[in-house]
Amino acid sequence: MAEVRINPREPWILGRKTPIQVSNDICGILERKPTRLWWMAFLTSLTILGIGTVAVVYQISTGIGTWGLNKSVGWAFDITNFVFWIGIGHAGTLISAILFLFRQKWRTSVNRAAEAMTLFAVACAGLFPLIHMGRPWLFFWIFPYPNFRGPLWVNFRSPLVWDFFAISTYFTISFVFWYVGLIPDLATIRDRAKPGLRRAIVSFFSFGWTGSYRTWVRYEVVYLLLAGLATPLVVSVHTIVSWDFATSVIPGWHTTIFPPYFVAGAIFSGFAMVLTLMLIARKVMHLEDYFTHRHTDAMCKIIIVTGSIVGLAYLTEFFTAAYSGNSYEQFVFMNRALGPYAWAYWTMVTCNVISPQLLWFRKVRSNLMAVFVLSIVVNIGMWFERFVIIVTSLHRDYLPSSWAEYAPTFIEVLTLLGTFGLFFTLFLLFCRFLPVIAISEVKGILSHGREQEQVADVHFRDERATESEPETTGVHA
Amino acid sequence: MSPNSTDQYWKDPEYAGKAESGNGQVPWTEDAPGEVSRRNFLRAAGFTAAIAAAGCSKAPVDKALPLVTQAEGMAPARSRYYASVCGACEAGCGALVKSRDGRPIKLEGLPDHPLSRGGLCAVGQAALLGLYDSHRFTGPQREGQACDWLEIDRIVLQKLDEIRTAGGAVRLLTSTVTSPTLNGVIARFLARFPDARHLAYDPLSCSAILDAHADTHGIRVLPRYRFDRSDVIVSFDADFLGTWISPVEYAAGYRERRRIEDKPETVSFHVQFESRMSLTGTNADLRYRVAPNESGTVLSVLADLVAARLGAGGAPPPAGGLNTVPAKVLEDLAARLVTVPGKSLIISGSQDIAVQRLCNTLNHILGNYGSTLDIAEPSYQKQGRDSGFVTLLDELTSGKVNALIVAGVNPVYELPEGQILAESLDNVDLVVYCGERPNETSGHAGLICPDHHFLESWGDVEAVCGIAALRQPLIRPLFNTRSLLDSLNVWAETPASAYDAIQGHWQEHIHPRTDGADPFQTFWDRTLHDGWARVKPETAAAPTFRGAGKSLADGSASQDDFTLIAYPKIGLLDGRHAYNPWLQELPDPVSKVTWDNYACLSVAAAKESGVKEGDIIRIEGRGLGDALELPAHIQPGQHDRVVAVALGYGQETTGRFANIGPQWILSHPSVGGNGLVGIRVHGLLVRENGCLRYERTGLRVTRTGETAALASTQTHHTITVPERLAPAGGLRRPIIQETTLDAYRANPHSGSHAQHDEYKPLFPDDHPKHGHHWAMAIDLTACTGCSACVIACQAENNVPVVGKDEVRRRREMHWLRIDRYYSGEGDEIDVVHQPMLCHHCDNAPCENVCPVLATVHTQEGLNAQVYNRCVGTRYCENNCPYKVRRFNWFRYRYDDPVENLALNPDVTVRSRGIMEKCSFCVQRIQDAKYEAKRRQEPLVDGVILTACQQSCPTQAIVFGDLNDPESLIARLVQSPRHFRVLEEIDVRPSVGYLTLVRNRMGEREVEHHG
Repeated sequence: MAEVRINPREPWILGRKTPIQVSNDICGILERKPTRLWWMAFLTSLTILGIGTVAVVYQISTGIGTWGLNKSVGWAFDITNFVFWIGIGHAGTLISAILFLFRQKWRTSVNRAAEAMTLFAVACAGLFPLIHMGRPWLFFWIFPYPNFRGPLWVNFRSPLVWDFFAISTYFTISFVFWYVGLIPDLATIRDRAKPGLRRAIVSFFSFGWTGSYRTWVRYEVVYLLLAGLATPLVVSVHTIVSWDFATSVIPGWHTTIFPPYFVAGAIFSGFAMVLTLMLIARKVMHLEDYFTHRHTDAMCKIIIVTGSIVGLAYLTEFFTAAYSGNSYEQFVFMNRALGPYAWAYWTMVTCNVISPQLLWFRKVRSNLMAVFVLSIVVNIGMWFERFVIIVTSLHRDYLPSSWAEYAPTFIEVLTLLGTFGLFFTLFLLFCRFLPVIAISEVKGILSHGREQEQVADVHFRDERATESEPETTGVHA
Repeated sequence: MSPNSTDQYWKDPEYAGKAESGNGQVPWTEDAPGEVSRRNFLRAAGFTAAIAAAGCSKAPVDKALPLVTQAEGMAPARSRYYASVCGACEAGCGALVKSRDGRPIKLEGLPDHPLSRGGLCAVGQAALLGLYDSHRFTGPQREGQACDWLEIDRIVLQKLDEIRTAGGAVRLLTSTVTSPTLNGVIARFLARFPDARHLAYDPLSCSAILDAHADTHGIRVLPRYRFDRSDVIVSFDADFLGTWISPVEYAAGYRERRRIEDKPETVSFHVQFESRMSLTGTNADLRYRVAPNESGTVLSVLADLVAARLGAGGAPPPAGGLNTVPAKVLEDLAARLVTVPGKSLIISGSQDIAVQRLCNTLNHILGNYGSTLDIAEPSYQKQGRDSGFVTLLDELTSGKVNALIVAGVNPVYELPEGQILAESLDNVDLVVYCGERPNETSGHAGLICPDHHFLESWGDVEAVCGIAALRQPLIRPLFNTRSLLDSLNVWAETPASAYDAIQGHWQEHIHPRTDGADPFQTFWDRTLHDGWARVKPETAAAPTFRGAGKSLADGSASQDDFTLIAYPKIGLLDGRHAYNPWLQELPDPVSKVTWDNYACLSVAAAKESGVKEGDIIRIEGRGLGDALELPAHIQPGQHDRVVAVALGYGQETTGRFANIGPQWILSHPSVGGNGLVGIRVHGLLVRENGCLRYERTGLRVTRTGETAALASTQTHHTITVPERLAPAGGLRRPIIQETTLDAYRANPHSGSHAQHDEYKPLFPDDHPKHGHHWAMAIDLTACTGCSACVIACQAENNVPVVGKDEVRRRREMHWLRIDRYYSGEGDEIDVVHQPMLCHHCDNAPCENVCPVLATVHTQEGLNAQVYNRCVGTRYCENNCPYKVRRFNWFRYRYDDPVENLALNPDVTVRSRGIMEKCSFCVQRIQDAKYEAKRRQEPLVDGVILTACQQSCPTQAIVFGDLNDPESLIARLVQSPRHFRVLEEIDVRPSVGYLTLVRNRMGEREVEHHG
């Protein structure tokens, strides 16, 4: 057997941490006063959120006319942002569920933040279907609730109704999954806190966690089941979102490649966003030992794979159009690449297909600054991908008489900004009040106390249950 | 409604008492219980008036009463229809006025009217808003202060007395008067003064045609043009389907000769020589661009060629003397003309008397007088004498006029001498302005006598000799107004109500012109019911041709100079309807631009001067005074040395539109920098030989470097996609089918793209319609693009006006639009108009994407929009392949309580945030169904008319039940010309089109595709 370049036993967590050190490192962040940097970031996010809120309130009180939409382009920034945020929210489940089932130990450093990111991104995404309605105060009409309107219910043939189910399910499962994973860590915080309000609150939310063997067993079972439940959602949500387009008759939308294409794109953008966030958190919160080069390396590889799938999808779309013999379809793709929105199309291609190829080079992958920049580039590219799909297909469809151009108003731009404000406000609060790294899970992959163990042991050992971790029981608090 | 319920609910005790105190005898009996026909109602009205006149009541019933007391047979929420005459212009089309709960809410075409044949143009239908215009004069004014009619009359009579005794001059200035009674009253009024004259001018003048007939036939007359009798139509710059004299009448006649299925052998051949792209030019079988000064030459050559062939002398044609029209074209045309003696029509829109004389000569040698040009029973639609106004202006400036009454016209705005006129008005003792709303002229009048809207007053019209029509009031005057007829009667000191005056006049002058079979009262009642009556012409003998026009030399103009053509635009015309928001927002049928006038340049001219769409250009030249600055519009098909600008803009009254449409943080006003909509170009008109000319030569066009976005409803103008983006074989979109008449005769399926077998649906129709299945077919050969349907739809369905800024943002709300496509290269183009509305697809893509079932299919095949269920996701809009869905982006304004009276109560006013679209006029369908059910009769084909179909002057739109095998629509669907747009995506649309057939000589074949 050839020499393996990376020692599979090389630790994911550096610094030869002991379990107590991990607790100190992660909980310490929450127990200290917030830094000046945090305050600056938080206030900036809050301000942007405030501006976005003003824009949304103005739009709702005045009308959708305050956006740049028209008789031909009925969706643009709104649904672009919606799909963009849903896509971001994809990585969370993937990391927590699928990577868990595949026993990818490196996920422990990122899964908490990724899951939080998922929730916040889905919250941002969920905003758009709501505010893009002409009469958002009647949003509950798309819920199939019992009512007095006789046979008038929701239209189960409409992908927008499926969207509602897909997103609400996804949000619910993600939240439960995230929260269940959080319980042992909440208990750790509880045990470290002095008696008082903080301790009372955390104590309530840790649901009386005792750290006993039985608790751990139950916990592990629930976690595993939830991971199994969440796995299909990784595929379903974006598949259903893609049906918003794929079930239509509009050239450029009406295509069967959309579900896999959207799922790959979502994982692609989600991982990019996790990278962006974790690289910042690593620097700001000094988590270098927990989020290492090996983590970025693994994530970059996923980005290369998904980015390449996305690139293949772009090529396939052109092939399908050319092969279809449908001149409307062919025109849409000619128009995407060479028409008035060609700049958006080529931005998308550059950001999503060309620039991620740099990650093939180990040098680039190990340069965290480069990875950080590329992760942002990917996110820009993925936003443009949705913009290109939505706007270029609508603005020139069947009848040339109705061709129209779209440009956003500043209200729309502020609304998009506002969701970033919302996202970062929530994320910063999360960093402040909850452990940004899953303490209990990270402890399970520590090399501490394991150096002498036989490799064979690993396969049949339940990592967390067999390790005695007295500090989580509160003895040391 | 049962008779009992009528008794219970609608019989006012007071009314009942009156009925008893009358003679108690109801003069109609033959109606079904609970039902009174319109004829009987009118008979009753006449009966009541007769009782009144006999002295049973205090005053004669001469006014429309508000419905405090219900008239018999009148039920709330039931519409009634009254025949009347449209008063929007002088063409005198028949109007059917829909009245609902005592107020007129829609103007429609009067079926069987001999002139308009059931059609009514966009302007006529939009004139309804003129009634409910809160900016009208609300009462008489003296020096800007409100006063009462007694005071007005006292002052007028006193001043007129003074003038009469002093032998002063009295002048009455109006546009063409087509009312026989009013003409009589005017004559009686003027006869009271030693020096009194009535001057009529037309802002869109045809003075040269009348003057030319004075020369060639010895009588100043406007012929009645009979397009329905013409095999060959040659038009020089005459926009007879759009704005020229009587477009509805002409379009209806034109249509008679375009019946491809029924009478393919009678299809007329229409050649248009013109310098700008008119609506008529877009419909011509052949169209040639000529310079404005060249059309006379072309006409000369044609006349010579025809004369030579007929052996009537004439010089040989000049060798190669024409710049733009190949000699062969004219030779062929001349050859064709001489084969149809008496069945051709040569018309010219020129205001050059010499050209018109030549036109008359050519028509004469072709034997057209008496057949296609009727001067024995001529038209009275334009009688203005341009030279008369020049004389008046001389008198005014030299202070020779003591009293001037201006009625209905706005000379200060409309005429190039407006400024001089305005200044001289201040020196006249008595200036009375009679009109509906404040304007440039009324500001210079001491006394304002507000006139009724034509829906508020009695009137009579003889627009064409031999067709006498009555106009009846549909509502009591909304404001303290008085008709001109009343005012002149008072000032002639023969006060009589308009009703009496008209009836008197008719008894004396019109009734004797009938065959006398009916007594007057019967004749009157029938005319009032029908809206019109045929009478004999006053004079019997037709004038004969006297003298020939001479050939014209080519006008010499520098090749570099531009000629400005000021043209009337559909909707705005001469500007008299500039107050009307519907018309301001009506896209020009050719340019598709709303809310502005602009300088049209040809593609070549724009390229040469580097002008792009929306660039503001400066037009300057000798004697122009201030340069004119206007945004440019590139108009393919226009002559290269022409810059065309629409009349009717920049009017004072349009200042009201500053805040029309939604007001929000990024909104722009609908008015320009001058605070008005567009720019006035009437000041640039010139007079030549007394005639008002609409061309001005010797101008330069330069770019200013500034730009202004035009509010256009269509920005991609061709049926082809941009060449750069075109996939192989996908350059031209197969959404229009066209062919030539020759090809059609050889193969009725010619022009069809339909590889119908290829588009066989994969899935069977799982929702067959068992009852009715509504569908529509639109004949592209008949459709002229006149846009009457657009306004009909707007009026019927309460479609809001959104303002210039929203149109610019591509958010106009019209449910029915007319797509206009150019095909061809550069300026040598063909044009097609395609009305586009909801296709009510049986497999509708909008329906399955709505999450809340706000758009659903009815059992009768309608695609219904449920407004109060809609939450506004706009998914349906995106998924509509025809892009006919309209979203309420804002809460559109309905804050004018007077204007809101024009709303149709049968159609919901939509709130913000919901989707709307064409409903196939479902309220009209339901109405007809209820009516049929009530009468217990089957629904007959042709009873349901959608609003667009009802008023179409060319009957291009057919609506009906596909499941009725006898129906016209069911037959049209089987026609070889029938096709559906985007059939290949299997949405199964219910709207189909009939292939456009052009009658071509063959040298310019329509491109064949597919």
